[in-house]
Amino acid sequence: MLEQLSQLADPIGAIIGFILTIMVFSYIIGDNFLFRLAVSIFVGVASGYAAVLILYNVLWNQVLVPIWKIVSTGNAGGLLSYVIRVVPAVILGIWMMTKLSPRLARWGTPVLAFITGVGAATVIAGAVRGTIFPQVGASFNVLNIQTAPSELSGLVGWFINGLIVLAGTVATMIYFQFRLRSRGENVPAQRAVILDYLSTAGQGFIMVTLGVLFAGVYIATLSALIDRIGYLWNVIIRFF
Amino acid sequence: MNEIICPLCGKPNPPDRDVCQYCEAPLKSSGFIASPEDEDLFNQIPPPYGEGSESSDQPVQPPSASSLEEAIPDWLKQTEASFLEPSPSESDTPTHDQISEQIDSLLNVPAAPAEEEIPAVDDEWLASLLSEAGVGELAQEIQPEESQAGKSALEEEGVSEQFIAGLPEEELSLPLEPEKPDWLTNLEASSTIKLEGGIQPSEQGLKEVQFEEAAEEKGPEKVEIPAWVGRTSFGESPTLPKEPETPIEPAEIPGWLEALRPPEGEKVSPTAPVEDTSAADIVTAGPLVGLRGVISAHPSAIQARKPPTYSIKLRVTEEQRAQLEMMEELLAEEQKPKTLPSKRAISYRHILRLVVAVVLILPIIWTVIFRSERAQDPQPASIPSVVDFTQQIQKLPTGAPVLLAFDYEPGFSGELNGAISTLLSQLFAKSAYLTLVTTSPSGPALAESLIRTVSASGATGSATYTNYTDLGYIPGGTIGLLGLATSPRALFPYSLEGIDVWARAPLNTILSIADFSAVILITHDPETARSWIEQIGPVIQAVGRPLLMITSTQAEPLIRPYYEAVPSQVQGIVAGLAAGLSYAGMTGGQQASGLMDAFSAGITISILIILIGSIVSLVFMLRATNKKKENQE
Repeated sequence: MLEQLSQLADPIGAIIGFILTIMVFSYIIGDNFLFRLAVSIFVGVASGYAAVLILYNVLWNQVLVPIWKIVSTGNAGGLLSYVIRVVPAVILGIWMMTKLSPRLARWGTPVLAFITGVGAATVIAGAVRGTIFPQVGASFNVLNIQTAPSELSGLVGWFINGLIVLAGTVATMIYFQFRLRSRGENVPAQRAVILDYLSTAGQGFIMVTLGVLFAGVYIATLSALIDRIGYLWNVIIRFF
Repeated sequence: MNEIICPLCGKPNPPDRDVCQYCEAPLKSSGFIASPEDEDLFNQIPPPYGEGSESSDQPVQPPSASSLEEAIPDWLKQTEASFLEPSPSESDTPTHDQISEQIDSLLNVPAAPAEEEIPAVDDEWLASLLSEAGVGELAQEIQPEESQAGKSALEEEGVSEQFIAGLPEEELSLPLEPEKPDWLTNLEASSTIKLEGGIQPSEQGLKEVQFEEAAEEKGPEKVEIPAWVGRTSFGESPTLPKEPETPIEPAEIPGWLEALRPPEGEKVSPTAPVEDTSAADIVTAGPLVGLRGVISAHPSAIQARKPPTYSIKLRVTEEQRAQLEMMEELLAEEQKPKTLPSKRAISYRHILRLVVAVVLILPIIWTVIFRSERAQDPQPASIPSVVDFTQQIQKLPTGAPVLLAFDYEPGFSGELNGAISTLLSQLFAKSAYLTLVTTSPSGPALAESLIRTVSASGATGSATYTNYTDLGYIPGGTIGLLGLATSPRALFPYSLEGIDVWARAPLNTILSIADFSAVILITHDPETARSWIEQIGPVIQAVGRPLLMITSTQAEPLIRPYYEAVPSQVQGIVAGLAAGLSYAGMTGGQQASGLMDAFSAGITISILIILIGSIVSLVFMLRATNKKKENQE
């Protein structure tokens, strides 16, 4: 019975997917009811699935099931260590639910402050350790001869690439330098001429970077479009 | 008929009423007309102290009405006579005995003591009575005697005859030497300056005395006569006994007293301040009726009267009315819903959008339907990051535990599923133990679906691949990743199926994330990739474990610096559809799907659309600029 249902689920899911895809494609002719209905269905299904997953995976499997298994096995030491580890989190979680009531929302502020502080500390420590220091070190080693390839053709490419990376990094950082130097009384303060040129070059690097990012987004979207058209054709040739 | 005057409103009421018919105030207790009970009670009041003491041994007799009337001052009688209606028991004119007593008092005025107050008598009324009684001549004879006595007093005080002759006859009849006040006598006794004959009244002083005398004649209720003036009379001028003139040693006046002494020549007025009550209101109701200058007991504040009615109609001018109408018109215009401009069913934008969609979609449909193979797939070794990725996977030992994170949204399945399928096939071939985690709620479903799809495609033969466990969703975002890096057992005590996977092989050897042979992240979001690099990367790279990524094209530019860094923080990247095809080519799993043709066609058409759109926009901009210049010229 279950095998038959699973076999039926695939074609039913395919038909539903086909209809929903057509509804989304209807946006080509403008905003309409079918498009809004499809978007609403996606949002509702995603929210319901996320809620069920969190309740089952987090609250049930990570909080309640461990307690039940520790109690059923009679492991007092395990229960104590688990309670010490989990109970504070549960208390904070329940405390955080005061944010649901506008009247009690301010009582949940300490929990929110605790979570925000811990989160900020985690992000800053990770950024310093995983991004800033390694990337600054990598910028120093862009033209490190010890990292150069041995072949001459590769060496030229390595040098040009390193030079572009170095110039782009320096020029981009200079673009965000807004310090002006005073040139005397009655003379408007302005940036040095060389800094102006480098800033313009940095602006160009930023434009290229943003263009590449946009191109990446466009290519990702185009890949999704090709996948959906292929899916529609597969469903058509499957059922027709 | 007796009427009771209400003490509050002052209106007459019938005698049989207990309360005022106008203001409901009680009448019997405070009205002017006393009830019989009150009269009896009044009769029981003992006589005054003097009278009572004289007849203490005699039975108490109720005072007669005449004695009570005598006890009432004359000014009160006059006041009552002017405000109250006359009662039958009272007469408008005084009795014959009273007239006789008043005449006798007038005739004996010079002999009366100074302390006695002269009763005020209406002059005209008295003159008429005197003429009727035939005593007018006697009164006229008194005047020369008074004048003569005044003259003799002036002569005794040293006033010159010439000065006296210069005075009018009326002034000579006034007392010329007032009695010295005590304070002045004491001051004179202690002063070194001696005034011979006492204080000489100046001409001004005489005039003031005359004025006061005249004011006294006008009415006793208007001017208060000071006590020291009342004591002055012609017959009392030489009251002080003459003492022999003995030299008195001059007394020393203290400085503060000398400072208080008025300068010489300045007028000293020992009189008390006189209160002018001529302008004060006369009490018209209550027990103090007829008095002037007193606080009325008539409670005007609680008068029981109908409050005045004010019109509630707003009085506005014509200009204000016009402004009000203008304001109402403005508000009415604001409240009217403005109709939006009607949109045309088919506009220029609709047509342009349809044209672009058709131009872009039709070639893709063509390539997909006919599975075109005109475009060659990327060469397997043309992308270094894909080569590194493939090599890292190939380095994995058989049955190695691998952490696989599905952190992408279903919308990127078309771009990433090709590379993921290739990866799963490669891992299945190595019988790697897959541990699935995700920071996206849709991750577990995607992972389960892909594993089943790849298993069903024959990568593992006919059997479904089961050498994996799904730990599920990592809550907490970045904080959850840090927890996964340090203590995965504490974060996931049980798998998504409720199994304690840490108690059996191969995860029983896993204590931290560094114990996995490799960590592979599948994501479309550069922020998620950065979080994994920052939180997980340092932990696994410390022991030489690789961090590999399958990512979207939109995230590649931000992840590539981590890959190209020296030393690299990401050991291999497969980014996008083209890299996925390259990866599949390297592993030998490439199939003819027509995706590369569709991708190439889509990219080419997109470039053409952008170029054509840019050229058209440039042409329109130039035309607009030229038209603007022409208009300016």
